Amino acid sequence: MQTMQNMHEYAFFLGCIAPNRYPGCEASAIKTSAKVGIKLLPLEGASCCPAPGAFGSIDLNVWYAMAARNLCLAEQMKKDIALICNGCYKSIYEVNHILKHDEELRGRVNEILKEIDMEFKGTIDVYHLAELYYDPKVCGVQKIRDSVTTPLTGAKVACHYGCHLLKPKKERHLGDTEAPTWFEELIAAVGAEPVEYRNKMMCCGAGGGVRGYDIVHALDITNEKLINISEVGADAISELCPFCQLQFDRGQIEIKEKFGDVYNIPVLHFNELLGLAQGMSPQDLALDLHAVDCTPFLEKVL
Amino acid sequence: MAENSEPRVGVFVCHCGTNIAGSLDVKDVAEYAKTLPNVAYAAEYQYMCSTPGQNMIKEAIDKYKLTGIVVAACSPRLHEPTFRIATKEGGLNMFRFEMANIREQNSWVHMHGMHDEATAKAKDQVRMAVAKAAYLEDLIPKSVPVEKAAMVVGGGVGGIQAALDLASAGIKTYLVERTPTIGGRMSQLDKTFPTLDCSQCILAPKMVDAGRHPNIELLSYHEVENVEGYIGNFEVTLRKKARGVMNPVEAAAKGIVGGGCNGCGDCTAVCPVIKPNPFEFGMAPRKAIYIYHAQVVPLIYTVDFDACVKCGLCVDACGEKKAIDLEMQDEFPKYKIGTVILATGYDFIPVEEKREWGYKRHENVIHALEFERLICASGPTGGHLVRPSDGATPKSVGFVLCAGSRDNTQDGVGKPYCSRFCCMYSLKHAHQIMEKIEGCKAYIFYMDIRSFGKAYEEFYYRIQNEGCKFIRGRVANILEDPDTKNLHVFTEDTLLGRPVDIELDMVVLASAIQPRDGATELRKKFGVSASSDGWMLEAHPKLNPCGTTTAGVFLAGVCQGPKDIPDTVAQAEGAASAASIPIHIGEVELEPYFAQCMQDICAGCGMCIKLCPYSALDLVEKDGRTVMQVTEAKCKGCGTCGGFCPGGAIKMQHFTTPQIVAQIDAYLLGGE
Repeated sequence: MQTMQNMHEYAFFLGCIAPNRYPGCEASAIKTSAKVGIKLLPLEGASCCPAPGAFGSIDLNVWYAMAARNLCLAEQMKKDIALICNGCYKSIYEVNHILKHDEELRGRVNEILKEIDMEFKGTIDVYHLAELYYDPKVCGVQKIRDSVTTPLTGAKVACHYGCHLLKPKKERHLGDTEAPTWFEELIAAVGAEPVEYRNKMMCCGAGGGVRGYDIVHALDITNEKLINISEVGADAISELCPFCQLQFDRGQIEIKEKFGDVYNIPVLHFNELLGLAQGMSPQDLALDLHAVDCTPFLEKVL
Repeated sequence: MAENSEPRVGVFVCHCGTNIAGSLDVKDVAEYAKTLPNVAYAAEYQYMCSTPGQNMIKEAIDKYKLTGIVVAACSPRLHEPTFRIATKEGGLNMFRFEMANIREQNSWVHMHGMHDEATAKAKDQVRMAVAKAAYLEDLIPKSVPVEKAAMVVGGGVGGIQAALDLASAGIKTYLVERTPTIGGRMSQLDKTFPTLDCSQCILAPKMVDAGRHPNIELLSYHEVENVEGYIGNFEVTLRKKARGVMNPVEAAAKGIVGGGCNGCGDCTAVCPVIKPNPFEFGMAPRKAIYIYHAQVVPLIYTVDFDACVKCGLCVDACGEKKAIDLEMQDEFPKYKIGTVILATGYDFIPVEEKREWGYKRHENVIHALEFERLICASGPTGGHLVRPSDGATPKSVGFVLCAGSRDNTQDGVGKPYCSRFCCMYSLKHAHQIMEKIEGCKAYIFYMDIRSFGKAYEEFYYRIQNEGCKFIRGRVANILEDPDTKNLHVFTEDTLLGRPVDIELDMVVLASAIQPRDGATELRKKFGVSASSDGWMLEAHPKLNPCGTTTAGVFLAGVCQGPKDIPDTVAQAEGAASAASIPIHIGEVELEPYFAQCMQDICAGCGMCIKLCPYSALDLVEKDGRTVMQVTEAKCKGCGTCGGFCPGGAIKMQHFTTPQIVAQIDAYLLGGE
């Protein structure tokens, strides 16, 4: 166990879906990161990120201001933000980036923030926890591998990166958006076998407000993705975003109802897989709250 | 002109139609000029560059006994020569002329609602020019003889054509080619649009002509190492790369009677080392001793010393010809030339970095030059187009146009410009597969079809009528079916306004082009600039497309910007014509803007020697003192030495300290 001095500390931006729908994502983020030298501190007073599709499509100024308020909270803590949701990443990372580089917009946002005695200064950076796990300067794949006590041997896992994490490419810094493999490396580090599948970088179907606006259209996209994943015999889907998780997990129930197609592929956030591999119990991870039963997967790996 | 008389300056302000007069008060400027010190005469006129305008200058010189002329008009790049000649014809030394640029530097940039300010600025400009004109001196241009030889760098169709033209005009021409054979890109092509001539069939005669022309010395497997000198007197050091094989002339020089490479190929038959052939983009093998293809010029084998294991089998096979020398080293011969033409051509961009199209990731995505080799009868498959994944004949092929061209994504790979020949060769590719493979479907994914050349639009209609499918949309991404290795091409059909997913057997990327690897280093050696898109910069995009800003250096073909074969050949002929002019005249006149060392006050410190970018300065012994001396022919008049000299002993002709100080004073102390 590392001493506290060596821990990399981040303000942990929870988001909404993880704590409300998949508490295991939240729990595993805090517990797994502590075992690889990352301490996640509560970002008290944080609101919704706010959801980039729903808010950004309607009023960008609200999106900027709310995200900026969350950033100000972390600035007050003098900590960079770590988060576990691609939607949050889009809002918090991107607004931080935009406001740092657009003086005029920053002035307008700060006018709004003045009403609550806050000011965006641009003093912190924003990271997805998964990129910190992959970054050897913070953690790195080897440290993840070393932290594993129960390797998830024998399970084929299909990786879903999610759109907002990597795209648009020119506004991100995570490299290749067409055929990346760093998530697969993390999956291999927990002992599972990452599998390639057709059209891996396709959207989950939920993002950009599509799930809220036109559920059938969203599910149609999800269904195509599930067909491609089931073709290669994946035992589970892993993603980096509770909203993608919701779409694949709840979506399988909705697809069964609406289209009659049945897949029963468990869907686990990478944090949950890492938690299992580090010895957390399925109860600790609240896997019973998942819509698709995780038992077959658990029986295979535990 | 009497040296000691008071300066008498004549000022002529040009309207340039409304170009100048529309934005500032020309008459006011001319009236103001009359009030300036040393001005003996001032006038304004509609078009100073016209014959009546020039006559005004000539007549005024005589009538008002002028010693200096100022014309306030356009950029000296346009009409300085015109007015210098008028000055000369009026009886003054032509360097007694100074131009105030009140068009490009004034009226054109102050067009709207700045009339008074523009007029005031024009007065400043005229006042400064008058101040300098009062100090102008007679100068004599220097003539230097021109070496009666030229060099062409790059042995593609552009370089070959330029060399043939120069040589046929009686000029000794060195044709330098980096690879072992001339021919360039054109020799890799199967057919040429829109006539569908066999590319190699029409190129080979030119290659052969270049190889045996008495005035052409073919320097294949050579690269430019170093360049010194100036127009008329360049000294170019080449790197004669160790080829490992001697031609008959080289062998004879070493006393090997009747020896040297005759191209029999006995060596390659016994060579045990197999490497990919870069001419075939690695799709066919070659040995460590090799020729690129059957029609190479010169037909001399080359040893790849990076691959050769020096087993000596080839030496034995060569026998009495003794052509092979496995211990050969690079040599550095020097060539004296008068003028040079650069014709270095193009490469494809690293199109694999456009990750969305999957080149080098998906086996059946190839680029257009690979397609040329695969469809070419002399290519690795004997002209049978096959899928790299399984060797099957494709039944549907997609052509992705603008694969990195007209691309503003700023991802470091895409190019904002049009690569100019991809539309046409892709139409030709579509024709070729439909003709060669029965039932094979061709899909062209395009933004616009740019069929601008002679008989090109007709060719476009012809391919439409042959049944090629045209889908207007940029390809978003290409996915590979993991089982069949078929490709799914995703795009939006912007004419139908709907997304498209087409499954195809094969995709050909019409990759954007960029300057050849090494072209940047080469052009810097010759002092040639690049335009913002990276291609070599011509002297003027419209009126001097073959020249560069370095006198004596000319451009031909794609190295100056994307162009097809007809345009390349045309530019090569233009460049050859331009490059032959100084050689035929026999001497070039250099502008007399040299540095002059005032040796009586030069301390001989030598600080300037190291600063000179053109190695034009030397220290010499004179009357027992060490002083600096300028080689005028080498001096470009940049002023580096003059600005630096601690003792003020270097005079920059036409930009002397009194002239410049007078201008500065006129600006700072004058005005209304």
